[in-house]
Amino acid sequence: MKNSITNMRKIKFINTPVQNKTLLLVFAAAVIPMAIVALCLYYLIFNMLAWQMGIPEMVAYNLIPVARKVNIILLVSLPIALLAIWLTALELSHRIAGPIYRLEKELDIMIAGKRQGPIKLRSRDELKALADKINKLMEKSK
Amino acid sequence: MLLKRISVNLFLIFFIFLLTADACAARLPKIFPFKEKNALSEWQEKIFRGRVLYSVKAGKGTRYLRAYSENSASGIFYEIKFDPRQYPMISWQWTVLRFPAAQHELAGNAAGEHWIEKDDYAARLYVIFPRLSFNLTKCLEYVWDKDLPEGTIITSPYSGNIKLFVVESGTDNVGKWVFAERNILEDYKKAFGKEPGRVGAIAIMTDTDNTQSTAEANYKELKVGYKDEK
Repeated sequence: MKNSITNMRKIKFINTPVQNKTLLLVFAAAVIPMAIVALCLYYLIFNMLAWQMGIPEMVAYNLIPVARKVNIILLVSLPIALLAIWLTALELSHRIAGPIYRLEKELDIMIAGKRQGPIKLRSRDELKALADKINKLMEKSK
Repeated sequence: MLLKRISVNLFLIFFIFLLTADACAARLPKIFPFKEKNALSEWQEKIFRGRVLYSVKAGKGTRYLRAYSENSASGIFYEIKFDPRQYPMISWQWTVLRFPAAQHELAGNAAGEHWIEKDDYAARLYVIFPRLSFNLTKCLEYVWDKDLPEGTIITSPYSGNIKLFVVESGTDNVGKWVFAERNILEDYKKAFGKEPGRVGAIAIMTDTDNTQSTAEANYKELKVGYKDEK
């Protein structure tokens, strides 16, 4: 348990091109469809209701106050939702970009001859299997 | 090659959309004489608070639409799409038999507080200009008011997007058929200070829900969307 905690990477944003691209891709992949669906639903529901009500006073009296309440809820919840999506995207991008960064660093150290030995990645890292294969290859080539 | 094919397909879809939109435009002018017994079948009923009785009646060699409201507000609504810049005129005949309880004596004047409690008219005709978003929809209302002078333009207490034009005023013509004709293009410019978009619907309402009273009005020979020939 202690091992796994100390083994956790503290810095989630390592600002490598791979992480930046992954982060943006995951964020956009979540936000763009969500925005399109939400806008379509908002527009369709309120416009259809307004047309169904017909009489403008009826729309102004019944629908516009509801729309205002929905707008306030959206204004409050949207930043929270965007933050949650951003944090999830950061975590996902880190799981991909972190091991690549680590792999590159370990290989750089080995090429420089400063250290021999296996590349160590955490079991949950996406590139763990690749690191294991590189380790096996290095073992064979000794 | 693929891009070209997609562009051609998109253009075709847009062209078909334009054709369909044009086919959906109403045949103008649209006349509602309210002479047939089933004349209201093409109208939709929209109930706000309680139901106003709308029915086609016969009398003195004519047929007309009768509206009887008792502590209620509901209208009849007809979807009609046309460009008011091309066909700006609308006309109708109406008569009021009974006004709602002294609405402008209830509390101050039209600009005063609680005006929403007096927003009842014996007869009113709506021209509705829908927009992409429902909260931008504009509306002109032509009303027959007992107190406000003819030509008065007021903003509805419900929304700034609703402007009321007092077309007929007072009790002098109670029980008599009165002809009204309006240029909705000019009225829209006067009310909102800009050119209107397309008309999407018209509606008729006699209401007494705010004043908790009774009103009665008749309508006939409603003619929508024709050119000003003056």
